[in-house]
Amino acid sequence: MRRVVRLVPLGLVVALSIAGVLWGRGSPDHLEPRLAWCAPSGARPLGCGEAGVDLLALVSHAEVRGVELAAVVALVGFGFGTPLGAFAALTRGRAERAVSRACDLIQAFPTFLLALAVLSAVRSPSRVHLGFVFALTAWAPFARLALVETRVLRDAAFVEAAFALGMSRTRVLVRHIVPNLLGVVAVQLGSAGASIVVAEAAFAFVGMGPRDGVSLGAVLDQGVAAMLRAPHVLFVGAACVFATSASMLVAGRAIEPGR
Amino acid sequence: MSSAFARVFEAWLVLVALASLVFFALRILPGDPALLILGDSASVTEVATLRARLHLDEPLLVQYGRFLSGIHTLDLGDSLRRPGVKATRRVLSALGPTAELAGVAVALGATLGIALAALAEGPWLGTRRRWIERAMVVVAASPLIAFAPVLTYALAARARVVPLPGDPQAGVYGLLFASALLAVPLAAQVGRTGRAALAELTRGQFLTVAAAKGATPRRVIFLHALPAASGPILTVIAAQLGALLGGAVVLERLFERWGLGTLILEAYASRDLPVLEGAVVAAGALFVLAQGGAAFAHALLDPRARP
Repeated sequence: MRRVVRLVPLGLVVALSIAGVLWGRGSPDHLEPRLAWCAPSGARPLGCGEAGVDLLALVSHAEVRGVELAAVVALVGFGFGTPLGAFAALTRGRAERAVSRACDLIQAFPTFLLALAVLSAVRSPSRVHLGFVFALTAWAPFARLALVETRVLRDAAFVEAAFALGMSRTRVLVRHIVPNLLGVVAVQLGSAGASIVVAEAAFAFVGMGPRDGVSLGAVLDQGVAAMLRAPHVLFVGAACVFATSASMLVAGRAIEPGR
Repeated sequence: MSSAFARVFEAWLVLVALASLVFFALRILPGDPALLILGDSASVTEVATLRARLHLDEPLLVQYGRFLSGIHTLDLGDSLRRPGVKATRRVLSALGPTAELAGVAVALGATLGIALAALAEGPWLGTRRRWIERAMVVVAASPLIAFAPVLTYALAARARVVPLPGDPQAGVYGLLFASALLAVPLAAQVGRTGRAALAELTRGQFLTVAAAKGATPRRVIFLHALPAASGPILTVIAAQLGALLGGAVVLERLFERWGLGTLILEAYASRDLPVLEGAVVAAGALFVLAQGGAAFAHALLDPRARP
């Protein structure tokens, strides 16, 4: 029961933003310059931003796309990192050390620099470029967790039995190790998703976001620019980033095994 | 000695790998850098001149060799945006403010985090200790990008209790405010790890002995337990350095404060390749250096970590 409760905040965030996309009045491309920076009102529940863009439409579109990006990248990282970490631990020796060291390095490294280095090759990054860059490092936490868990599992009796029966390493990995890992490693999905939402917002905030400008970071950027004139823009942006990232962290704990 | 050498070698390897990544990303991925810089409307002669100036017309390996030697001799050629100014000079002038911001943030975050950990584990607060723990969980989950602009609005723009850090007249207080913002998430992480490490240690006999000899709880925690808990605390600081540097870029942009982040974004926008390459490598060097510093501090505080 508690698990379901933990999924509620994320469900709420996603449902609200989809509702905003479906029933919201304007699209984020629709500008009404005479309403620029107008305060929240009945017609515009969240008010307007730069050049009269309807904040509700902008925020809900940005939210949907941000969550989508985070889900895809986190799942890619999960799908790639888990087998990699498990395989490294099962082979032991040099491969294990190399993967473990690589995870340490990537997790501590300023991902921002890495992303920048890769993004500088394109003129203005699209959401796909951003996703690719995030995926370059997203696998590390999953691989590390899988590695640590496999270190325990590899000495378990059923794994030894599988090897004794003549199963190949790949088969043991696929049939016996990975299914036992999924629950433990999936817990990381929440925090991985949250960090991608925040990273996307941060990139858009510093002006390296998707070129359509539909991002929570772009809302924050507008809010900072008009901090004194229209503080509501800043609050809306900050609240959305916080709600999305926090709800993902909470949702991640819904998968926690053994509770 | 050999382990120190291995450490330096590894740090060098990381930097060369980062530099190579920037270099090849700009040259191998589709898209001619010269065209990226000049835009599609540039004439053929203009593109050819720029290609010659950036040595883009040479074979890739020759370019790579020139780039690597440039990194090591701190000479990457002139900035494209400001002709006549060496790229490395611009990078070095930006390195100071960012190092200052990050350094003060680490000092503030570590101090605050350790104080919180001691409060959450020590006997002073009674049952209210749990609130500290809960507060740290919430703060650790709040992204800097969400709360930094809001706090700036509330404290600097509305209440005007702190100056805007981008203001040239802001001085020390501006730096302290910006660093404090950057230090908040770090303090929460350090506090949580520190508290867990201290809780682990309370079962240690050496603390019971210290208490039996009449040491006050303050003495037991700060003199006996904390040095032994320095390992996890320094590890978490080292692990947060990357995030800290990313946060510094966001804050520099928020406050329009001069630093590596501002320089990197400016060089990115104007495709100033020599400056961009130099700045990314400099930021990487800052990170590697700080990590080395954390390892050194650990060895200094905890005899068990000495090689």
